[in-house]
Amino acid sequence: MNFAIEVKELHKTFVAGWLRKRTKQALRGVNLSVPEGVFWGLLGPNGAGKTTLLSVIANLLIPEQGEVRVLGNDLRKSAGAVRRRINLSSGHANFLWSLTVKENLEYYAMLYGLSGNKRRQRVEDLLALFDLQEFARVRFEELSTGTKQKLSLAKSLVNDPALLLLDEPTVGLDPDVAHRIRDAVQRLHRERGTTILMTTHNMKEAEILCERIAFIKDGRIRAVGKPQDLKEELRLGDTISIAFSGTVQAEALRSLQGTYGVQTSDSLCRILVDDHRKRLPQILDFFMGRQIFIHDLRIQESDLEDVFIAYTK
Amino acid sequence: MAKTRAFVFKNWIMTKRNVFTLFEILFWPLVAFLSVGLLTEFAALQPEMKAFILIGVIAMSAVQVCQLDVAYALLYDVWSKAIKHGFAAPVGIRHLLFGSLIVGILRGGSVFVILVIASYALFGFNFTLPGALPIALFVLGLFLSAAMVGVFVCILVLVFGNRAEVAAWSLTSLMLLLCGVYYPVSVLPVWVRGLAEIIPLTYFLEYFRLFYGFPPIFSHVLLKGYVMVIAYLVIEIFAMKAALHRAKRTGLLLKLSE
Repeated sequence: MNFAIEVKELHKTFVAGWLRKRTKQALRGVNLSVPEGVFWGLLGPNGAGKTTLLSVIANLLIPEQGEVRVLGNDLRKSAGAVRRRINLSSGHANFLWSLTVKENLEYYAMLYGLSGNKRRQRVEDLLALFDLQEFARVRFEELSTGTKQKLSLAKSLVNDPALLLLDEPTVGLDPDVAHRIRDAVQRLHRERGTTILMTTHNMKEAEILCERIAFIKDGRIRAVGKPQDLKEELRLGDTISIAFSGTVQAEALRSLQGTYGVQTSDSLCRILVDDHRKRLPQILDFFMGRQIFIHDLRIQESDLEDVFIAYTK
Repeated sequence: MAKTRAFVFKNWIMTKRNVFTLFEILFWPLVAFLSVGLLTEFAALQPEMKAFILIGVIAMSAVQVCQLDVAYALLYDVWSKAIKHGFAAPVGIRHLLFGSLIVGILRGGSVFVILVIASYALFGFNFTLPGALPIALFVLGLFLSAAMVGVFVCILVLVFGNRAEVAAWSLTSLMLLLCGVYYPVSVLPVWVRGLAEIIPLTYFLEYFRLFYGFPPIFSHVLLKGYVMVIAYLVIEIFAMKAALHRAKRTGLLLKLSE
């Protein structure tokens, strides 16, 4: 398997102050391997080290210790070769304020070595891809937050990167714009097969977009896996709530396969199962076999937010 | 080539769009020039003394404007908080330096031409007296000196952050004091003259004033000026690489983008 990113034992400490030095360990031995072509999410609470890790991979920060290989290149030895093939987009986008959308794209296309017709065509394509044509001649300082974010994403594609780093790409956006940004990112991954490493605080966004998730806290990776696997690992499961008439023996319910726990009261029981899709038929059989009448049935799936809370506790 | 053009493109558009950059070319240099020129009239200076001072004013104005452009290559990104995007791209210090210097030469050259014409029209000073080659050598020395100052400002910004941007305006004022812009360096105290001796602009001014009857205090002024300015530029390029590395190590590069 080829890896787009391989990080081994990465340490990064920030030192502030001249006389009274204050230190903050942002990364404490991070290990991470991101295969090529995967949409990877990096989740964690504020100050966990997400942006620091992304910045090290983008060669904007130099770590004290550890090894970073990006697209097969050792970042210490071949930073230039890596920078040619990667790009990044951040939430709260900032670009040259006096340049228009088109000029900003042209400027960054030039920085990545594009010239002549190739550059012009690329800029036009990106304006079209992100519906930015009507803003092409508008200065950056006059754009709305959503349009700035679109420009940030468009800029991140000027060099057609093999690896795209997205740092909270929808932060501060209204739901409609965030949805469109997510669509654009998903399309990009699907159509171009670009490897994407994205940090986000939005668990729904991570669940929709990311094929794999890494949880980071206090500068350490705490868990890595598919969203479903992480839920199973934590035994978070789904909750099936049943309102019924009659008597239910909780012990008998607990003995059903895939059941993590049961809470019962007079006419209501809550059953925590690993996966409601697998376990619902046997639970219904259980009730029907005992001729217990079901009034109401509700299913509550656990989501990444529960995983996030579990890992950040 | 495209990467160098990127810096030309950025500086050029920022120059076109911002009123303050127009002031830098027209207002401040002309105000300084007219003030000093009128002072020479009031003091009823001899033509050669007038030439001595006007050469200094014209040279200093061109250097000031040109060095600003080199510093702006970084400062525009710092002010826009977009510096991380620039350095995330595969660009080198040489692209930044050459690209911004091209615009600096255009702007500094404009100031130079305007002031040369004004000095002739208003004060009867003939700047073309030494001939084409000495003028070309002098002007090249000025722009290399400007590049040297501009890169030094960039280094300071990468080491100390926004606080150092004031150097873009103050360094040339220091040079004004030390390089013998309005007076010969011989009037400086001996220990200060030592500082003047390590600044290339001192030698370029001495060289050009030679053609107006002022024998240089130092020997081989042109050679010393060029050797010094080229050596400084080479050292500065390495120093700027080291400063960028440091900014990536300390996290300053990201802080400048927040």
